[in-house]
Amino acid sequence: MKLKIFIGKTDEEEIIIRAREKTPLIEAIERLVSEADMDIIGYGNKEAVKLDVSEICCFSVNDGKVFAHALSGKYRLKQRLFQLEEKLPDSFIKINQSCLANIRMIERFDASFSGSLLVRFKDGSTDYVSRRQMKSVKERFGI
Amino acid sequence: MFGGFGPVIIGIIYWILSECTDNFEISGFEIFLGIASTYLLAFVQAGASVFNQIEHWPLPKSTLIHFLTLFAAYSVCYIGNTWIPFDPKVLLIFAAVFVSVYFVVWTTVYFSVRAASKKLNVRIK
Repeated sequence: MKLKIFIGKTDEEEIIIRAREKTPLIEAIERLVSEADMDIIGYGNKEAVKLDVSEICCFSVNDGKVFAHALSGKYRLKQRLFQLEEKLPDSFIKINQSCLANIRMIERFDASFSGSLLVRFKDGSTDYVSRRQMKSVKERFGI
Repeated sequence: MFGGFGPVIIGIIYWILSECTDNFEISGFEIFLGIASTYLLAFVQAGASVFNQIEHWPLPKSTLIHFLTLFAAYSVCYIGNTWIPFDPKVLLIFAAVFVSVYFVVWTTVYFSVRAASKKLNVRIK
């Protein structure tokens, strides 16, 4: 595969891929580009921070407020969950009505004694997979 | 969705009873009460699952409240429909059967979720 990079200060930035078929490499590039294009601003205790989408474990709703659980901490967002769902890269899946999970930040799944599937994220936070979303989560992992 | 099967099941039971019993008689009100009870039980069963999703409740508390809610709903419906008589001995047998079925269902659900979690963990790696 050939790689050409043209750097010109006046050019509009774009990436063009010519390929015979969609490969895992192309999908990975797509993911990177969509993540890089996303500006998500999180609000901590005192400051507003630009969040790196790839480091966010999940977005969840608590008391009507939307939070991003990132490796660096928990941040409040101004967007609603459905607005995030529309523009997030496909590494995010809905695991229940109030949580969008980044599948690359899932540490492991556990069975909880309440009979639900528990998701443990890399930042130590947890959430559960609702029965309604169970099928789509399994399909996403090819089960 | 499964609540819709309740009236069908109760209809089949009434049908079998009418075929097997010589003088099987049932009033329109009793049929209505039976069908309404199956809907009520399905409604309570679905709603009670909320208790298991309250994260700040410890597991024994959510399980106990879930169990007691279902037990109360089933007891009221069974006694109200005279599916079981209001007799201490029968109620004791009913409670024992209920506890056994609850345990079997709980264990089945737990192991099925555990199997799913194992498969998903393999895929993550």
